Amino acid sequence: MTYNFAFLDEDTKRMLRRALLKAVAIPGYQVPFGSREMPLPYGWGTGGIQVTAALLGPDDVLKVIDQGADDTTNAVNIRRFFARVAGVATTEHTVDATLIQTRHRIPETSLREDQILVFQVPEPEPLRTLEPREAETRTLHALADYGLMHVKLYEDIAQYGHIATSYDYPVLVDGRYLTSPSPIPKFDNPKMDQSPALMLFGAGREKRLYAIPPYTSVESLAFEDHPFEIQRWEHHCELCGSRESYLDEVVVDDRGSRMFVCSDTDFCSGRRAEAQA
Amino acid sequence: MLAAFANPVFDSQRTFRELLQAMARPAVPRLLPVLPPSPAPIAPAAMAILLTLCDATTSVWLQQPDDNVVRHVRFHAGVKLAEQPLDADFALITDPLSMPPLDAFARGDMRYPDRSASLIVQVTALGASPCAQGEAGRGSLTLASTQARATPPQPSPASRGGSRFAGPGIRDTETVAIDGLPHDFWQQRAALAAQLPLGIDLYFVAAQHVVALPRTTRLLES
Amino acid sequence: MYVAVKGGEQAIARSLELLAEARRGNTTVPELGLTQIREQLRLGVARVMQEGSLYDEELAALAIRQAAGDMLEAIFLLRAYRTTLPRFGYTQPLNTSAMRVRRRVSGTFKDVPGGQVLGPTYDYTQRLLDFDTTQATTVEPAEAPLPANMPRVLDLLDAEALIERIEPGSDPEPTDLTREPLMFPADRATRLQNLSRGDEGFLLGMAYSTQRGYAESHPFAGEIRMGEVDVVVCPEELGFAIEIGSITLTECQMINQFHGGNGVPPQFTRGYGLAMGEGERKAMSMALVDRALRCDELAEANYAPAQNQEFVLSHSDSVEASGFVQHLKLPHYVDFQAELSLLRILAAQHAARDDEQPLSAAGGQA
Repeated sequence: MTYNFAFLDEDTKRMLRRALLKAVAIPGYQVPFGSREMPLPYGWGTGGIQVTAALLGPDDVLKVIDQGADDTTNAVNIRRFFARVAGVATTEHTVDATLIQTRHRIPETSLREDQILVFQVPEPEPLRTLEPREAETRTLHALADYGLMHVKLYEDIAQYGHIATSYDYPVLVDGRYLTSPSPIPKFDNPKMDQSPALMLFGAGREKRLYAIPPYTSVESLAFEDHPFEIQRWEHHCELCGSRESYLDEVVVDDRGSRMFVCSDTDFCSGRRAEAQA
Repeated sequence: MLAAFANPVFDSQRTFRELLQAMARPAVPRLLPVLPPSPAPIAPAAMAILLTLCDATTSVWLQQPDDNVVRHVRFHAGVKLAEQPLDADFALITDPLSMPPLDAFARGDMRYPDRSASLIVQVTALGASPCAQGEAGRGSLTLASTQARATPPQPSPASRGGSRFAGPGIRDTETVAIDGLPHDFWQQRAALAAQLPLGIDLYFVAAQHVVALPRTTRLLES
Repeated sequence: MYVAVKGGEQAIARSLELLAEARRGNTTVPELGLTQIREQLRLGVARVMQEGSLYDEELAALAIRQAAGDMLEAIFLLRAYRTTLPRFGYTQPLNTSAMRVRRRVSGTFKDVPGGQVLGPTYDYTQRLLDFDTTQATTVEPAEAPLPANMPRVLDLLDAEALIERIEPGSDPEPTDLTREPLMFPADRATRLQNLSRGDEGFLLGMAYSTQRGYAESHPFAGEIRMGEVDVVVCPEELGFAIEIGSITLTECQMINQFHGGNGVPPQFTRGYGLAMGEGERKAMSMALVDRALRCDELAEANYAPAQNQEFVLSHSDSVEASGFVQHLKLPHYVDFQAELSLLRILAAQHAARDDEQPLSAAGGQA
């Protein structure tokens, strides 16, 4: 037997497409959808894969990254999957991609209006760790009652002197919905605000989709006396010398010596190529 | 019986991508890549949207449910027809001047605002300003559609009148003229804005173009 | 010098080869045939069909072989296959009263019309490892065939109005959980659908907890029956019913005490379980959990895990649970780096505070 283009049947794609349009129409709101069992496990990007499958056409050029890198095994596997079931062109270069599926990072290279960023989301509900009941969190979103989150962040400040959330840092989209940026490091949060590219989020296991349209206000929660700040390193990338990018820490020997390198492999290799030219 | 998309998988994929961009960038006309045959009074652009988004799991309310229209839509999209506007996931407005009030359609509930209607509204022209086309705003669909095709919409024809919009998806403001709507349409829509995030989402079509206005897009005072 | 990890593609390709080799094992040993699996591992096949939500013994056997006997992996394979199958329609409700019974026991009456029928069961095997199963067994044919129609035990109580009555056709049209997301609160039909494809081990533990005081549970096994049931469809364009085949099912109806409440008089209440193929443990567990989940409807105290529908239904699915637990194997370098930076800051601040106020530790912190 053969599978349909991009694996999913057309009924499923239509269901996803309707849900995606509603998601864009209500920025930051989690649309329930009939998530399917995909040939990859739940928790491994099935939400992002379903969104990508609903978007993908023969003219697309697909990039898949995990932790910012194109060559991590799960990114390779997802790229292999789409090359196999849709025969689409793939790339590792951010600038060449029309669609970028990502887990845990936003590329360092600024995205354009003609690109779409698809996030794999393990837990779409930013309030889940504070309130496990879905019936309850739905109500809190309906009332825009985000007191729980403010109290949590404030308790951080009381205990540690600053907000102790370093990734999956909650954002308010279009001044209305509290939204999980998927677990990207808070370093990437500012890239979401007024982004030229459309951002779509898929949570397969939790069966929710959401979107942040381009040119939309995305505000990381903060307090007046404790403004939002991103991570900074004392180091620079040891491969390309960048001081602006998010760095991975690598243990290089038995004595625990460390080095720091760009998490975005395409950004890093682009800079190295430039330096050599 | 007329045909539908010649290549359902790829035609609906390409159409969807334009609809997605239309919804993500409100008030900017997008060119629909494939126009399928459609029985009057359904415009080919409206048919393209129905074929792309609707199937047996969606209910569609037709403003003018002529027999051959119903047969065509049922055969090609397999949709359920909604008896009442309130029951519709999608509504096809083929004669906007006599359309039901906007609050006749589902706006979702506070916990599930996505359970709301999407309206496909066939307007007489998109993009060009009403002044530039004289009194054609209330003219026949065919005539105005021809005009719209002859004068492709400009992305931001601010200098030529039209309405200014702002909201998510719009960098600053965006200007577009949407012709052939009831005179109190924008008042009705503004009244719904008080209920956000409840609301309805609109796709306006004329000739080959679609302009989307999600519930969050605000019409600015000119 | 550090070299960036490259070659994920080759690593995956090599891993797949190793997996194929390990799955096949020693090639001098003949490969398992699908018929062998179907015929000789029928309970495994049944479980894969139940939780894979697809009644197809051949494909379930194929999945078991491909998964090297890992049942959850086999279930996942079957689910991933069924997910994009076209939906031709829905069957009429299955009539389990008309089951051609092969096993039927009741814990509530010594004898019932149609009798107690043990059928093929491990219940009384004494669990002694049998070192020689090569001897073929021949079964003496029964003196008289089982009655074609065996009334369900609970229908006998129903006649006396001692058990809650559920009118046929009174249920709302069920949602299809393989197409629609689970929403809360979920009605009973939706809950049962979730439980019927839920992980047997999870349901067993949940059911067990209701017997140990974590819920108001005083169950009797009203009836457990296993056998074949006809599957009937009624295509809209034809307008009449057609039988398209029959499937093996195991059904369990639990009878539970109920002292009355919420306007309902004291009477017995029901818990229901249904499993594809032979799946008695699954059907019984499901029936206990179903009854526990009815606590709100019956105005019972809702305090135990098995009564909490969000807790039970959100965690019952092995494909979801297995995927998310195991996703921790994936790289989390980026988040971990974010936490590492934060922790270094916190640790430095902590050390600085200790230096300033060496005595504060003794004072105890609020």
